[in-house]
Amino acid sequence: MSIKIAVIEFPASNCDLDALHVLNNVLNIEASLVWHNHFKEKDYDGVVLPGGFAFGDYLRAGIIAAHSPAIDEARIMLKDGRPILGICNGFQILTEAQFLPGALLRNESLKFVCKWVNLKVENNKTAFTNRLNVADVIDIPIAHGEGRYFTDQLKELIDNDQIVFRYTDEKGFITNDSNPNGSMDNIAGVCNLEGNCLGLMPHPERASEAIISPKGSTHGKLIFDSMIDFIKRRSK
Amino acid sequence: MLWEVEVVLENKKAARDPVGETIKRDLLAKKGYDMVSNVRSGQYLRINIEAKNEANAKDIVEKMCNELRIFNPVTQTLTILNVKIS
Amino acid sequence: MPKVDTDGDELEVNLTNNEIEQIKDELKRDPSITEWGMFDVMHSEHCSYKSSRPKLKLFEDAEKNYDYVLAGPGQDAGVIDIGDNYALAFRIESHNHPSAIEPYHGAATGIGGIIRDILCMGVRPIALLDPLRFGPLKDNPHSQWLFKYVVKGIADYGNCTGIPTIGGEVEFDKSFESNCLVNVACIGLGTIEDFKHAPSRANNPGDYIILMGGSTGRDGIHGVTFASRTLTEMSEADRPAVQIGDPFTKKLIIEATLEAIKTGYVRGLKDLGGGGLSCALSELTGDGGTGARVDMGKIFIREPGMNSFEVMLSESQERMAFIVQPEGLEEVLNVFRKYEMAHAVIGRTDDTQVLKVYDGDNLVVNLPATALSDAPTIPRKEKRPDYLDDLIAQKTPEQSKKLDDIIYELIASENICSKEWIYRQYDHEVGVRSVLKCGEGDSGVLRIIGTNKYISSSVGTNSKHCFLDPYNGSKGGMVEICGNVIANGARPKAMVNCCNFGNPEIPESFWYFAESVKGIADFCRELKIPIVGGNVSFYNEDEATKTAIKPAPVIMIVGIIEGEKNIVPLPFKDVGSDILLIGKTKAELGGSEYHSVIYHLEGGIPPLVNEKEIKLIWDFIFELYENNLVKSNHDINKGGFIIAIAEMCFKNNIGVNLDLNTIQEENLRDDELLFSESVGRFIVESSKSDYDKIMDLGRKYKISVKKIGITTKEPEIHINGLKTSNFTLNLKKMKRLYDSTIPNLMDK
Repeated sequence: MSIKIAVIEFPASNCDLDALHVLNNVLNIEASLVWHNHFKEKDYDGVVLPGGFAFGDYLRAGIIAAHSPAIDEARIMLKDGRPILGICNGFQILTEAQFLPGALLRNESLKFVCKWVNLKVENNKTAFTNRLNVADVIDIPIAHGEGRYFTDQLKELIDNDQIVFRYTDEKGFITNDSNPNGSMDNIAGVCNLEGNCLGLMPHPERASEAIISPKGSTHGKLIFDSMIDFIKRRSK
Repeated sequence: MLWEVEVVLENKKAARDPVGETIKRDLLAKKGYDMVSNVRSGQYLRINIEAKNEANAKDIVEKMCNELRIFNPVTQTLTILNVKIS
Repeated sequence: MPKVDTDGDELEVNLTNNEIEQIKDELKRDPSITEWGMFDVMHSEHCSYKSSRPKLKLFEDAEKNYDYVLAGPGQDAGVIDIGDNYALAFRIESHNHPSAIEPYHGAATGIGGIIRDILCMGVRPIALLDPLRFGPLKDNPHSQWLFKYVVKGIADYGNCTGIPTIGGEVEFDKSFESNCLVNVACIGLGTIEDFKHAPSRANNPGDYIILMGGSTGRDGIHGVTFASRTLTEMSEADRPAVQIGDPFTKKLIIEATLEAIKTGYVRGLKDLGGGGLSCALSELTGDGGTGARVDMGKIFIREPGMNSFEVMLSESQERMAFIVQPEGLEEVLNVFRKYEMAHAVIGRTDDTQVLKVYDGDNLVVNLPATALSDAPTIPRKEKRPDYLDDLIAQKTPEQSKKLDDIIYELIASENICSKEWIYRQYDHEVGVRSVLKCGEGDSGVLRIIGTNKYISSSVGTNSKHCFLDPYNGSKGGMVEICGNVIANGARPKAMVNCCNFGNPEIPESFWYFAESVKGIADFCRELKIPIVGGNVSFYNEDEATKTAIKPAPVIMIVGIIEGEKNIVPLPFKDVGSDILLIGKTKAELGGSEYHSVIYHLEGGIPPLVNEKEIKLIWDFIFELYENNLVKSNHDINKGGFIIAIAEMCFKNNIGVNLDLNTIQEENLRDDELLFSESVGRFIVESSKSDYDKIMDLGRKYKISVKKIGITTKEPEIHINGLKTSNFTLNLKKMKRLYDSTIPNLMDK
């Protein structure tokens, strides 16, 4: 089957070409860069909201992009169960658009931080983690100034198994030192109740090729592979 | 009538305010201003709006801030500081 | 500065009275105040290079002498053909004075400016590098403030525009205390086609002139008093001394510009920098052999009531001028509309070779397009400073501290310690190209997706060496930066330089500049490295004390690595490997970190550069690479070879057992041996089994190759074979000191 994925480009998204490259050239599926005003959901099986500084992060990261017509289109996909992935700025946009619970605030250190971290997989039943195992520890980089996850519904998130990734050390232990930005409960990524929408602060598109990974791993690719598997299974 | 509405958005207590905390702890307290007990940071908006009267101006501003999420109700509070004729 | 007066409007100008008369003679009238403003900007040192041009003639013609150089000095950026149909553009610039006043916005707008220059070559900017210089941080809140906000300015601007900062350099020295140096470099990548179709100048009459990007305000207007009113509603005090950048707009400009160029209808492209719109138009038409008619009323302005002087000379950021073929106007405008970029068609080119700007019916600028480009040069006197002989004669005091304590102090010193505090704030991975990331190697290494090629780049120089001997010091800077890319497996392909010096009107300061230029010119000619661009920043000196900065002719090298397996890492790879010291160590402690940190000495004999020796070493290293004889490589710089070895131990926690008997010499003291900064040396890790092969090659090239130890499992550095007693350094302690200096100074 021919799978079509859209990578939405907002004004000043800057990781859009990276996500496009991984989908097109590493996974070899048909992905298109779509300008936010031109996005139509009916043409696509899945959508990626990439990292960057959409609309300059003015007022608040993600808030202006959340009002884009692209988000209205994506809301249709959210409701009919198609996969929606928000990476970094994309995660911020999804929380402001209320596709996902919680909010992303400025890093506790008040500094931008770019480094490789470890994430523990907490839920492998989402559209993006079916190729992973619960308790897997993966290598993946972060690069953000506003990644501190906050929610006033922590209990519900835990009860509903909506926490998908947590920051941990190399061995998978959830520690203060392994939390790069002060996120509540070391939360790095969450999903909606249905599990078809995932937002995460780290960048899987930067961890999909061994040549650019410090340890030569490609754990990020598994997130995209999972999305493709999910789409294929849905269409059956 | 043209009104001027001043609005401040602050982080809720639970969401913490590292900017305010840092100003107090790393700048003021270290430089002898230890009589300062607390600093809150926030965003300030000054909105010029055409409205019938003061109450109307306030209403419209509150409505638009809520509807368009000019403040994030999960993490922030919205306070109208002042309304006056522009 | 002389003042010119036109109908009661007064302006201070960077012109001699002679030049003022010359201009009046050539135009056969008094220029308008706006025209005077244009002459003033174009004749400034910054734009006209009037002091430096005579010396820069020493650089050989890159475009003529090297077939892979596509664009050389004088263009917006240097461009080289790197094979596989790809072209690389790169440039380095200074933004020193604004950053010393307002570090955040000064550094940010510096980044903004260099990105625009690369964009003008039709290629996508893909990497930034930042060589920075400040006063020492310890006990100096002012230096800490400058350092913190320059880094933040670069980070915020670079991160928002999505261009990774892949490398940089920091030097701390008292001479930079009131004159910090912020140089910024950018690399752009495109196909040869992209470059060949790159818009260059306005060489067709009848084309449309479009202004695009941010709005025009009163930024950068100084030194003028209008008869009609006091400057503006904002007084000097209210006006920011430094422009405010807008990286969000810049990102949109990058995408819109690249997309507009792809339509094929853009014939000319210029970013608006010094002198604003007037100078950009003058350059576009002057270089293109055309003229233009511009209507000021079409320009979208930000503040009410701006007059023609203010509009034409405004330096508001994030603006570009496009020259577009008439058939393609709508298509290009549609690109701007898509990105919601403010734009206006402000005029058309013509064949008059005159630039005419109308304010309503008033003709406010009526200049031959070439009038501004030929600023005369000014011959400057040179004089070797009197203090140098005594300085160079300074002797190293007798060792008062133990060698191991000295090394612990050096590894923690500001010029040597880890700069992770800086690069953690830069998104150095965006673009998914970064293979060797910040802190991982001597250079930043990027892949070119779809090829087997890798770009390696590094920047810097050693101002302490240049201070004692600018001729050898500037050559030494070339050796160091080339050594950085060579250590990671790359062949240096081309260079650009950023010359930061004091007041050229002072003979001693100008001597430093002249000697540095000579050094760079001679070295590049001998080693066959084309100079494809350069920037000169003068007047970096403290007004009050009249002390100049230490001379800083900053070098940027771009090199190419062919094939992933040819990327050579820095950290020691294995236990039980041989450790080789390539190149001879001499008693050259002048300007060394050892002298500076331990004895607060600036003098001594600085390192000499012998081009023939350097070439032999480089050829030897590349033959080692071709025969797969190198496991890891690190070139030796600040602190001497003992620091280089420690840096190779850190990543994999591999220790070393050194026996320095193989490099001992009668006339070399222990501290000279360990801490000398003799140039062109490398530490190489190799297999025991390859020892003979390597030694044979060393003899073939007639260079010094000595085994000085082996790598070990225990995280310790054992040093044996010294004249004084042997000792051991604790690697964990060294790493802790190395890592904690800057965080301790900045984050507590």
